[in-house]
Amino acid sequence: MKVFKKLGVVLLGVMMAMPVVQAADELVVYSGRSDKFVKPVIKQFTAETGIKVLLHSAKSTALLNKLRVEGERTQADLYLSNDAGNLQLGSEMGLFQPLPQEIVAVIDTKLRAPDNSWVGLSARARVLVANTTADTAFLNSVFDLADPRLKGKIAITHSGNGSFIAGTTVYMLAAGKEKTTEWLKGVKENAEGQTFNKHSKVVTAVASGKKAVGLVNHYYIYRHLDKKPNAPIKIIVPDQGEGGMGVAWNVAGVAVSKYTKKRDAAVKLVAFLVSEKGQQLFAEINREYPARKGIAAAAVIPPAESIKASSVEMAALGKYRGATIDLLEAVGMP
Amino acid sequence: MTKHFSVLSGVTGVVVLMAAIPLLFVIYSSFQLSAERWAGLWNTRLPELLANTVWLGFVVAVGSLVLGLSSAWLIARRKFAGRILAIWLMVLPLAIPTYVFAYIYTSLLADDGWLGLIWAALFGDGVAIPDIYTGWGAAFILSLAGFSYVFLLARTALLESSPSMEEAARMQGATPFEVFWRVQLPLLRPALAAALAVVVLHVLSDFGAVSMLRFQTFTLSIYTQMEGRMDNQAAAALSLVLVMMSLTFLVLERFFRHRQRYFSSGRSRKFEAREATMRELVMIWGCIGTIALFAFILPLVWVVHWSWHSWHAGLIGAEFWGYTQNSLLLGFIAATVTVVVGLPVALYHTRIRSWLSVSFLHLSSIGFVLPGPVVALGVITFILTQLPLLYGGLAVLMMALVVRFLPLAVQSQEAALQQLTPSIEQAGRVLGAGPLENLWRVTLPMIRGGMVTAWVLVFIDVLKELPATLILRPIGYDTLPVRIWIEASEEMLELAAPAALMLILGTLPALWIMMRAERRR
Repeated sequence: MKVFKKLGVVLLGVMMAMPVVQAADELVVYSGRSDKFVKPVIKQFTAETGIKVLLHSAKSTALLNKLRVEGERTQADLYLSNDAGNLQLGSEMGLFQPLPQEIVAVIDTKLRAPDNSWVGLSARARVLVANTTADTAFLNSVFDLADPRLKGKIAITHSGNGSFIAGTTVYMLAAGKEKTTEWLKGVKENAEGQTFNKHSKVVTAVASGKKAVGLVNHYYIYRHLDKKPNAPIKIIVPDQGEGGMGVAWNVAGVAVSKYTKKRDAAVKLVAFLVSEKGQQLFAEINREYPARKGIAAAAVIPPAESIKASSVEMAALGKYRGATIDLLEAVGMP
Repeated sequence: MTKHFSVLSGVTGVVVLMAAIPLLFVIYSSFQLSAERWAGLWNTRLPELLANTVWLGFVVAVGSLVLGLSSAWLIARRKFAGRILAIWLMVLPLAIPTYVFAYIYTSLLADDGWLGLIWAALFGDGVAIPDIYTGWGAAFILSLAGFSYVFLLARTALLESSPSMEEAARMQGATPFEVFWRVQLPLLRPALAAALAVVVLHVLSDFGAVSMLRFQTFTLSIYTQMEGRMDNQAAAALSLVLVMMSLTFLVLERFFRHRQRYFSSGRSRKFEAREATMRELVMIWGCIGTIALFAFILPLVWVVHWSWHSWHAGLIGAEFWGYTQNSLLLGFIAATVTVVVGLPVALYHTRIRSWLSVSFLHLSSIGFVLPGPVVALGVITFILTQLPLLYGGLAVLMMALVVRFLPLAVQSQEAALQQLTPSIEQAGRVLGAGPLENLWRVTLPMIRGGMVTAWVLVFIDVLKELPATLILRPIGYDTLPVRIWIEASEEMLELAAPAALMLILGTLPALWIMMRAERRR
């Protein structure tokens, strides 16, 4: 039985040598946004301030759940999410603390919480991607995706996708529940039961000509064009012009935990993220629109000034998410 | 009841109580759900979820049985060139997590994927590529990921079954098929039942494949409740139904298993496998090769291909080794603790058949069928309210992992214990060994093989575990599955592949230990 004794000794040693992963002076960020997009900004922040930051990445919603369960015992100093809905839900659960007005004032009020408990950092537009050879001249609204002419020709993600849910929330609030229900039914019909589990696959399907048009966040189009610059795809910014409801927006944003013990450092990080330099870095890398006015977005995407955005407040994305999911399930969206 | 049995039952009780924490949490939370919302769930969701989940469990059980039993029989009963390789090929799929399987197959079957291109070349553009986003797709993936359990246990049982019974049947004039159907299969039943239980429990708790392929099962729906709606009560209610279902299944499985017990006498004659003829050789390799191609070779080539890409792009940095180390350390500790903790439960149930021991056994399985996030939430809530000092380190994650994988440790060790002829232990007692000494010097050495198997099975599952690790890992403690998840969720194939490759490589030594222990027996 030497094996067992040896094993015991080794195990004990390992347990004791267990590294204490977190250093005391590090800021902990629960991050629901891809590391790849956050790290460069964080690196710059650490270089300028000397404050170290530890990214703890997982799904936005899972992290929010964790914050809620942990309550005052949380180790998180900040919460970063790609979805305004999550930020607002967290705010309503009382997990965050208000940010100083003078710091967040540079961000449009529509892109932050009414009580400043979270602030938007970058915005993405929910747009259409169309194959340039397909006949899509009649397309100028997302509601046209339900047009019978597009039967079997539209590409959408499955309805469990966070961006799909957020977009549908905006349509429901801007155009009414009835119209949205009809629209979903039409889209379901046109999708013919086929959905894609990734936005990149929606774009690929449109580029290959298998589908004529897809519904995506704008940056996925440019990601595809990076790899295949000659792909026959174009962006259609829907619902513009007189009487149009405007394109659906969603923001990625940040909040400071109510129970942080490093409030000053945490607020410093927020201040950096909304500064001109921070905004440039944060949005540019994923080709999103900086939330702060006057900062230019990446050159390839349509300029923000040229886009009419829907008037739905970001905070509504949290409030009405449950209602949207109910609607999606009532229609039986795949 | 003698004194040492009451000590044993006490220890077992404590272990089972720990394992039942997530269940208590689920029951508590679902009681907070109002009657109307229960009715709402019942009317809208439950029937479809029940049907889908049962269907998937059944199809995957049949699929795994066909793949696992046929390969086990061929390899155990014939000698042929490359037999060791064949064994390895049948076991290696265990190293690939279901979410990686699903991820790989969705890209292989895409229009521009390898299989998609082959399909188009073979059948032209007119014939659509088989749609993997269906129940059949999910069943395919889960069968590939699960048949190795059947293979392992069936092969061990085939090797250990004494040849005398088969020979007796042959002498009585039974055809080979009759021998298989009327002698081997009944003898294999305990092993097959245990293996299928593991397979079906994996299916019931699987999140990776069904979420990737959007097949609505209980687990996926529970996730939607938790993640989409932040509705933990509805999630708990659905989990409770899932637990009832799994318990029903386990009770049925036990019922079929315990009607028969077979003792193999200590050291009987080993089976002599026959040399395969040329025709058999071709057939065996055709069969094994096809299974291996889809279950391991194709995924491996894909992963290596993309890892090579990212290696060239300079995307593999030093932190990558850190993730690997974290994963291995976690697997090592969790597997050891789980095996130790599982032993009393297995021992107790083997020794004493009472309603108590049976309930203990079933209660200990609950962690396995509950979806990872639910276990995580239960454990986190328990620790925060009862033992807040433990919060923040590895302890929470460790507890969740032990709770999740305890049944694997119990099943394997119990299977080994059941094969022990009681007379051996009785001999020990007669010779004056106390219960502990008897355990230490007689029982444990005899079931070492089963313990090693238990350790390895848990180790591999911990290494692959995603949902609970994602939520409960200490701050900044990233493991390989966590990295795969983070990169794959942003559609960075090149970055997910190396982590998947490391995961496969990391399980190799564990599998090797298990296979070596098997050979020694």
